[in-house]
Amino acid sequence: MRDVAIIGAGMIPFGRRDQDTLVDMLAYASLKALDDAGVSAVDAVYVANMGGGILQRQTAIASALVDRVGLLPAAADLVENGPASGGSAVKNGVLAVASGYYDLVLVAGGEKMREVTGWKATDFVATLTHPETEYPYGITLPGMAGMFTRLYMEKYGVTREMLVEIAIKNQQMGALNPYAHVEMLITKEGILDSPHSVVNNPPMADPLHLYDACPVSDGAAAVILCPLDRVKELTHNVPVIVAGFGQATDTHTLAERDDPTDLKAVTLAAQQAFERAQTKPAEINVAELHDAFTILEIAESEHVGFFKKGEGGKAVLAGKTKLGGQLPINVSGGLKARGHPVGATGVAQVVELTWQLRHELPKERQVKNARAGFSINFGGFGNNVVAFVLKRGEK
Amino acid sequence: MKEITAYKCKKCGRIHYPKHERCLNCQHREFELVHPEGKAKLLTYTQIFNLPWGFDERFLYIGVVEFENGVKAMGQIAAPDGADVHTGMLLAAEWRPVRYVSGEPVYGLKFVL
Repeated sequence: MRDVAIIGAGMIPFGRRDQDTLVDMLAYASLKALDDAGVSAVDAVYVANMGGGILQRQTAIASALVDRVGLLPAAADLVENGPASGGSAVKNGVLAVASGYYDLVLVAGGEKMREVTGWKATDFVATLTHPETEYPYGITLPGMAGMFTRLYMEKYGVTREMLVEIAIKNQQMGALNPYAHVEMLITKEGILDSPHSVVNNPPMADPLHLYDACPVSDGAAAVILCPLDRVKELTHNVPVIVAGFGQATDTHTLAERDDPTDLKAVTLAAQQAFERAQTKPAEINVAELHDAFTILEIAESEHVGFFKKGEGGKAVLAGKTKLGGQLPINVSGGLKARGHPVGATGVAQVVELTWQLRHELPKERQVKNARAGFSINFGGFGNNVVAFVLKRGEK
Repeated sequence: MKEITAYKCKKCGRIHYPKHERCLNCQHREFELVHPEGKAKLLTYTQIFNLPWGFDERFLYIGVVEFENGVKAMGQIAAPDGADVHTGMLLAAEWRPVRYVSGEPVYGLKFVL
């Protein structure tokens, strides 16, 4: 197997993009990644998207993208793996390069969710639940997260104050990120500690409230991969090495898990990624965790080994996960503020880490001297999870 | 509760619902068919206010229960807003409409306080 490097990264601002089609967004992000790397052609393209067939009534999106961007006759595949589609597509691209079969690969992830009503977007995401034993009841992903949160609070003493602190932290960072969907600052008083908070932050899926959830977003992100030993001839960028990845699955239904608070797929995916990278959690300088709901940032930080079970929430309150803290988490704003166009998210996390490891971000958002980054892309309600360990390479 | 069929592994005894072709614990392929029995103990629940397309209610209570014979399942909880719903409580399970598609009822588990 060959070592694989990320040599190009591109993203378009997430949010409501009524003017763009799904393929427009994928094309814009792809061109940015190609231009960033300084390459004009690739051997293969992996596109991450979950909902084109449902929301846009468009299929075969990878074929549409290579045609639109002028990348013919590159091989092109669509990767659909729910909210972990992005991580899965990057993983497939990495395998393709590592195997020696392809040298230059484009991975692009995108989703267009705002052209339907909130009801329909919620229903679309809920189609990943079990079609006979979950979906008919009206369960939603916020509902799944609500049931998980109740148990996690009971077992590990997580409080609403801890969840609110994550919402505030990630929206603060989102306000500094020009690619973020949500740029609004919020206060503890406004969403927890005042009579107004009942109106500002109503229950969404008890015990979770509105500000515990990521927004429904449009957006796209892309990266260019190549063998590490060809970096110097292909690009002027500092390479970011894909030091390790992991992927694991868990039961489709929440009811069948022996302990529903145990996110086994998160633990396993992270262990694989760390083992492959020969890296320990304590060596990570910056992490992008899948905070579709605030509780997940705490639960994932504990399951991957950054903090012991029951300590993740305390670490948030102590400021350990802020920029400048022991381990900055979701300096991008995370899904909570950058947004969660589901197919784009896993790729956007890798783009953010690439920028962090190349030390290219403005001072207010750059993790100083970051050399190792980590991401978790969480599909389903934890039934399909992809993790990456990325490292800064030598120019 | 004859409407729900669960699958008890003939080798290790693990109970599955829904169906799997192989036991999630020991990969055995033979199962005894069992139905949920007795009261349903509420393991976790949520009150959802942002419902998906297809529901006209203002909110839904949804929970996961474990029946006395070990079958675990998700269903709706019939409860008014502000009702005393809590984990560990015992509920009765009924087979009732849980949603309507094109005016036709879709039946499923409804847990009653």
